[in-house]
Amino acid sequence: MTLVLIVALVTGAILFGIGVYGALSQTNLVMIMMGVELILAGALVNLVAFWRFLHPESYSGQMFVLVVMTVMAVEMAVGFGVAIARFRAKGSVEMEEAGDLKG
Amino acid sequence: MYAQAFFVAVFGLAAIGFGVVVFRTSSMVRSALALLFSQTAVGCMFLAMQTEFLGVLQIMMMATEMSIMAIFMVMFMMDPGGMGGMDMTHQKRFSIGAGVVAAGVAIVVAFWADWGPVTAEAPDAAMQTRALGIELLGRSMLIFETAGVTILTAMIAATAVAIPVQTTANSADKEDTE
Repeated sequence: MTLVLIVALVTGAILFGIGVYGALSQTNLVMIMMGVELILAGALVNLVAFWRFLHPESYSGQMFVLVVMTVMAVEMAVGFGVAIARFRAKGSVEMEEAGDLKG
Repeated sequence: MYAQAFFVAVFGLAAIGFGVVVFRTSSMVRSALALLFSQTAVGCMFLAMQTEFLGVLQIMMMATEMSIMAIFMVMFMMDPGGMGGMDMTHQKRFSIGAGVVAAGVAIVVAFWADWGPVTAEAPDAAMQTRALGIELLGRSMLIFETAGVTILTAMIAATAVAIPVQTTANSADKEDTE
């Protein structure tokens, strides 16, 4: 059984790594959001594996998965709202051209 | 046990493979579709781990979310089809390093940590859904309600941000054109 847990955790870790690469390397806002989605997908895999193989009697684990899914939906909604505002103001959602947002 | 490990590994490999394709293809629409397949594979992993409700929820939610993302891709990208072969990346070496270090540290923790006794049997699907419903409307109700209000706030905030700002200059321009 530990084998399945390890397989799931390694998958989650690799998805997290791919997401980190995507979020840091992409210049387009929508592509950066895709990277963040992959990071959260990695977290989801770990959470489900922990619930299933370590604490299937406690449903707080599944509750935590629902919270992370909520974060994914919120990230998409706010991200697209910002993308629309940025596109309307500057005609582009390229982060290379968003230096004026620096504090 | 081995069948479960096999299916979790197969869907895990599919999720990783499509995850890599997201950032490898020059077509942004293909990127959105690859992310959809990657998230669906993650949902299938949940099903293979006997977490039926969350698996179905993940697949349904991601199918909708990624379809919307594909539409936004076409709207906002300079080259959504990838026909121009534009390079849309920066600080590549640093990003690869950060990704490898992040994944490496998580893998080392996964192998070295003492996870304690592992449970072989999971509750059946009907039992899980019932228990999750009781959890949502019982002990975790405040968290559940907070999540709902957060989504509502995000929807209102996203709509408010997306509505064009009507300034005096804009109104004057509009009147001039009319």
